[in-house]
Amino acid sequence: MIKLTDVSYTYMTGGPFEKTAVSDINLTLNSGDFIGLMGHTGSGKSTLIQMIAGIIKPTSGTIEIDGQILHSKECNMRKMRFKTGLVMQYPEYQLFEETVFKDIAFGPSNMQLSEDDIKRRVHFAADMVGLSPDILAKSPFELSGGQKRRVAIAGVLAMEPQLLILDEPTAGLDPAGRDEILCRIKDMHRRLGITVILVSHSMEDIANITNKIVVMNRGRLAMYDKTSEVFKKSEMLKEMGLAVPQITEICDKLRKAGLPLPEGIYTVERAKAELEKILKR
Amino acid sequence: MLKDITLGQYFPGNSFIHKLDPRTKILAVIVYITVIFLVKSMIGYAVIGAFTVLCILSSRIPFKFVLKGLKPIMVFIVITAVFNLFLTDGRVLAKWGFLTITYEGVRLAVFMVLRLFFLVLGTSILTLTTSPIALTDGIEYLLSPLKKIGVPAHELAMMMTIALRFVPTLLEETDKIIKAQTARGADFESGNLMRRAKAMIPILIPLFISAFRRADDLAVAMECRLYRGGENRTRLRELKMAKRDVFGWLTLLVLIGLIVFTNILYGRIHI
Repeated sequence: MIKLTDVSYTYMTGGPFEKTAVSDINLTLNSGDFIGLMGHTGSGKSTLIQMIAGIIKPTSGTIEIDGQILHSKECNMRKMRFKTGLVMQYPEYQLFEETVFKDIAFGPSNMQLSEDDIKRRVHFAADMVGLSPDILAKSPFELSGGQKRRVAIAGVLAMEPQLLILDEPTAGLDPAGRDEILCRIKDMHRRLGITVILVSHSMEDIANITNKIVVMNRGRLAMYDKTSEVFKKSEMLKEMGLAVPQITEICDKLRKAGLPLPEGIYTVERAKAELEKILKR
Repeated sequence: MLKDITLGQYFPGNSFIHKLDPRTKILAVIVYITVIFLVKSMIGYAVIGAFTVLCILSSRIPFKFVLKGLKPIMVFIVITAVFNLFLTDGRVLAKWGFLTITYEGVRLAVFMVLRLFFLVLGTSILTLTTSPIALTDGIEYLLSPLKKIGVPAHELAMMMTIALRFVPTLLEETDKIIKAQTARGADFESGNLMRRAKAMIPILIPLFISAFRRADDLAVAMECRLYRGGENRTRLRELKMAKRDVFGWLTLLVLIGLIVFTNILYGRIHI
């Protein structure tokens, strides 16, 4: 369980460019959930997840993960960071090793695991993101963009975190690459039972795989609810510069035109089922 | 951590110093630096100090912010002081084993520290009050007489603009990479010197790659817009000298006068 209490973060305190990115967040995230994090550009999403991952320290407030308060004296931050895996935006730019294998092994070797264990984890992580074993011997710099992205994600996965945070993992990928990565993430969540926080601008992505949604607006928490509940408030989302999935939009319009469709439809399957019900009547 | 470096970072404002013509400011800094190295007495440095404080005050930039620029060169200043202190010949003041401190050594060390100190402060004031664009416009203008002897003034100015422009970008990038590697459990703080140097590799390699990528992208973008050198290029902002520049020059003349005066008066007396 992750518990945030009155968390705020200010960049460049005291300088001419002082900016409060996140203010007074109170939030409790349950283990095992697949949480979507949305908000328009500059709403504080990235700052928030970096704080949860223990990379930056909140200017005020506390973050508690599994009973341990981050940055407190009793808390070993390095150990905590192994528990939470953070995949930053455009993670392929952090690759540096000679081979893909070594790069994925960077995290586990920092954990001082045995050679065999590292090897097992690298192969497991590579398999998880769908990299074939023959790629492991290649240099990460000769791969395609989508493959690099997968190597970077595998590098985080190899640490076998209990909480996986992904900051726009599909940005800049083609549709096929995007679907593949999302599919893999969904699969990981299901198979490993870990908690996942996914930051995305794509409403479709979020609608299809998350069960809870956190909405940020201007550094503040705007909504935190089940996915279906959040998409019921399409007007509110639009006011915040966000959109709803296209299918929700269509259903909203059909309802306004007089069809008895329920609110909060966000997948095509559900829309299809509801429409069929109406047609059979 | 990385955001603490102010050298080469513009602090927007609307003060007298901000509004000075960049050419005035650049020439003033050159004069100022020359003067720093010509001062022969502590009283002269007091004058320089007063002048510097005056400049900072009139620029309305917080002192703390200007002093931050000194942090990165602190090590350099200390090393210079130590070398000057122990390696200058002259009248011996104290002696421990092979270490001797001479009167001349103390004097030279204090002078060198003050010189470096004011050098950084002076240039910091310039870069803090002048936007990079104005700065390079000024440099280009000042260098343009040298075009006749084949100095590529425009290209040099352009290279400088780009370099300055990318300092914050690369710092931001470094910050991001450090965060990403920290998230993967990289440890930059513990271990001996060798281990720490090795810990830098996961930061430096991605940084170099991204710097080259950025350079390449920028070159392509410039080519796409048919960029070619300074020939017949017009400017969005023409530089114009104003009354305040005259005032600036007069202040500087007073400073030079005072320094010459203190040099004649106190330069020969060793204090």
